[in-house]
Amino acid sequence: MQEGKNGKGVSRRDFLKGIGGGAIGTAVVSTGLVKPGEVEAYTQEGLGATRGKATLNLKVNGKNYKVEVEHRHTLAEVLRDQLGLTGTKIGCDRGECGACTVMINGRNLYSCSQLAVWMEGKEILTIEGLAKGDKLDPVQEAFIEHDGPQCGFCTPGQIMSGKALLLKKPNPTEAEVRRGLSGNLCRCGNYNREVAAVLAAAKAR
Amino acid sequence: MAQAQKEFSVVGKNIPRIDAYERVTGQAQYTGDIQLPGMLYARVLRSPHPHAKIIGFDASKAEKLPGVKAVIHHGNAMIPWSSGGHTHPRFIFNNPVRFVGDAVAAVAATDRHIAEQALALIAVKYEKLPHVLDPNEALKPDAPKISTNGNLSVGKGNFSAPIEESWGDLDQGFKDADRVFEDTYITKHTNNAQLERRVSIAKWDAGKLTVYASTQGVSNARTDIAKDFNLPLSRVRIVCKYMGGGFGNKNQAQDYDYMAAALAKVCGQAVKLEFTREDDYIGMHGRWASEQKYKIGVKKDGTITAVSLDAVTNIGAYRKQSGNLSGTDFYQIPNFKKHIKPVHTNTVVGANYRAPAYPQSVFGFASFLDHIAHEMGLNPLDMFTKNRIQKYKSKIPFTSNYLDECIVEGSKRIGWQEKWHKPGALGDAKKHGIGMALGGYPFRPGLGAATIRVNPDGTAHLLVGVTDIGTGAKTTMAIIAAEALGIPLNQIQVTNGDTDVTPYSVGESGSRTTPFTGPAVIAAAEDVRRQIFAIAAGQLKVNGDELDLRDGQVFAKADPSQRMPLGRVVARSGDLIGRATTNQSFKDVEGKSFAAHFAEVEVDTWTGHVRITRYVAAHDSGTIINRLAAESQIKGGIVQGIGMAFTEELITDRLTGIPINPNYRDAKVPTHLEAPEVEVIFIEHPDPFGPFGGKVVGEPPITPAVATIANAIFNATGRRIKELPITPDKILQARQV
Repeated sequence: MQEGKNGKGVSRRDFLKGIGGGAIGTAVVSTGLVKPGEVEAYTQEGLGATRGKATLNLKVNGKNYKVEVEHRHTLAEVLRDQLGLTGTKIGCDRGECGACTVMINGRNLYSCSQLAVWMEGKEILTIEGLAKGDKLDPVQEAFIEHDGPQCGFCTPGQIMSGKALLLKKPNPTEAEVRRGLSGNLCRCGNYNREVAAVLAAAKAR
Repeated sequence: MAQAQKEFSVVGKNIPRIDAYERVTGQAQYTGDIQLPGMLYARVLRSPHPHAKIIGFDASKAEKLPGVKAVIHHGNAMIPWSSGGHTHPRFIFNNPVRFVGDAVAAVAATDRHIAEQALALIAVKYEKLPHVLDPNEALKPDAPKISTNGNLSVGKGNFSAPIEESWGDLDQGFKDADRVFEDTYITKHTNNAQLERRVSIAKWDAGKLTVYASTQGVSNARTDIAKDFNLPLSRVRIVCKYMGGGFGNKNQAQDYDYMAAALAKVCGQAVKLEFTREDDYIGMHGRWASEQKYKIGVKKDGTITAVSLDAVTNIGAYRKQSGNLSGTDFYQIPNFKKHIKPVHTNTVVGANYRAPAYPQSVFGFASFLDHIAHEMGLNPLDMFTKNRIQKYKSKIPFTSNYLDECIVEGSKRIGWQEKWHKPGALGDAKKHGIGMALGGYPFRPGLGAATIRVNPDGTAHLLVGVTDIGTGAKTTMAIIAAEALGIPLNQIQVTNGDTDVTPYSVGESGSRTTPFTGPAVIAAAEDVRRQIFAIAAGQLKVNGDELDLRDGQVFAKADPSQRMPLGRVVARSGDLIGRATTNQSFKDVEGKSFAAHFAEVEVDTWTGHVRITRYVAAHDSGTIINRLAAESQIKGGIVQGIGMAFTEELITDRLTGIPINPNYRDAKVPTHLEAPEVEVIFIEHPDPFGPFGGKVVGEPPITPAVATIANAIFNATGRRIKELPITPDKILQARQV
């Protein structure tokens, strides 16, 4: 993403400032910037007042939505909180775990690391939009058959990455599947199953 | 149990989870997915100091921020959190704060961003107190006192004392030894790091508290919350339908459940409190670190004569678990003594993480045993086989024990005899190594309850309190019900995880769901079968006790052609309800699941990088109830062991006490790229005491994984790494020594 203004008039810097309130609460803990013995309050004057808002058209799972968002809202938040599409999970909210993976214009991306206001005119596909009516996608079928979900929290993300990989590479090798899904953590450690499922889905098509 | 020998119709097959559809379509509603009308959002402020007294607290600026509804802290919400510390008082907010990450305040606001902003507006004045991070330092007389009793943890007897256990005659054992070895092994704090962050939603309706929790056990969560909020059990409802992992750190009720409940009470609105990932790493607990000093006596042929273990474990600022070490459990030790000091320090709490007392101490003991084999010129396979446990504490028999078969079958599968070589002997820049270790986990029965409702069309509802944290427990219970009742699996609907609806379940921790709740499901099925047969007796003109029910058909045992579909038998009976509360216990026997693991590695001696090229896990878990889910559990436990072996460590800055890597990227949990294909072998013999002969599955796989890998690395390099994690720099340094 380029620095500076984009479509909705929010710069990357505004975005970073926007999340600052949250980041600082934890920065105290993680960076040790605090001088001992002092009263520790970061004044965030104006932070609450300058929140920018935008109205935008989102195209999710083939449907059009008109939503009002704050500039700082991520796509993951808007999908979950405004559209009720809670199949997209937030595991870390910092681009590490992949639980929030969705497809944007055919690519698998972390929706926690995409601002909602960048999404105008893009095609977003979430786990809820993968099945065609009652017919599950072959990747979903294979995840059931091969015991893809243990706790299931990473499963939607794994499936979206698997789907994106198969769109690009219909017949991947096992190594390619591992690499394709390597941005999706599974703490249950069910990696063998998830790889087997994607390979089986490739065969099934 | 008599059923153990019979042919099963559902048990033992590869059965996809009954809720897999919901999980692959995004329809499964986890706690954080629940939205209630008018719900507020809450966040937690944490201490930046490892030890400090709060001498000033000013939330007035935060309270003025539009959207902020309430701020709670130690001054206005002194709520005890008894499941947080069994034997010494801990509150949801404490003063003094005792580690970096100790909760100081919680804010509820109309959205989460406002709550986060509000945290930054709270002014807390701290008076720093001296702190101590190292458990050995903490035991010195002049160390800062973290707990009122001192830093040696208060145990179950409510006084500070080391954990001690012994049998046989230790001195005689060492006298009988041909050689005596001594060494020290060290393990670090690692985090459970489950994908679902902690989240809790609380609301009050006419004095009744409902908490949508992300808990491993709804029943225990209810007991704790009712006690600490001084409410009758009937006025507390805990709901958890889908759970995004916990591995031991979402047992019972947690401080965030209490904070959500307190905020909801103050605000008169529902409140959702969600941790950030960093909160999750530092705010709750991980696996306790340890320093294990062993003294082991052996005969010339490698037979152990005596073991003493002197250890210090770091359980952090508050006591949540014992801090014990149990890795010696898998060996026949005639003379034994352990002396373990669980110590408080000003660090993140060390408590339950999958098989709490095991992987760290199996790493220590099995590494050392492997090393002794090397020193004495023995093949480790012979060393482990010879010293494998046969009787618990050298005297009590096991309900079943096929550890020997695990060793034989696993070593055969990996080709141990052909592949094992002298340490460091095979390969040039890239060295080949092979290693093994033994593990397992206790299997014990206990309190369980279940209700089965048979509908007038012959379908059934199973009501159990289990939450299914990813183990597949919901499916396991449905399989047991289908098998015991005699109807197809797809005719059973499971209702789980709601204390207003479902009966008691122990909670998914300690691999207890199948042995505790499984027998109750069987007994409830037997109860309703008796009712069914009483009705069918009149219809089929056969005595009730001469009837059987299989595949949804009630039939005469003597003449199966005399039959009637269950749906017709009960068509006019309303709902039939079978119930059971069971509470078995062992007398003069011990139960354990066992495992023998084997791995091959390739160590790049230029970079210190290790690749696991093959992994074989042989398990004795009795009858396997669901092969598909059980194999997944084994594979997953090993992947967690791989993380612990190679990368994971929560690092605390020595000067400031601040954890510097509380996130996935820097604490490095394994990804798809680090996970080898794990070959699982089940040595299946029904256990006479387990439901349908099953023992436990969830905890065992992580127990030997770390040691197995460490031993393979030794076999590759000829250098012993005695401190976890085994990072490339340690491998390179060891080679230069």
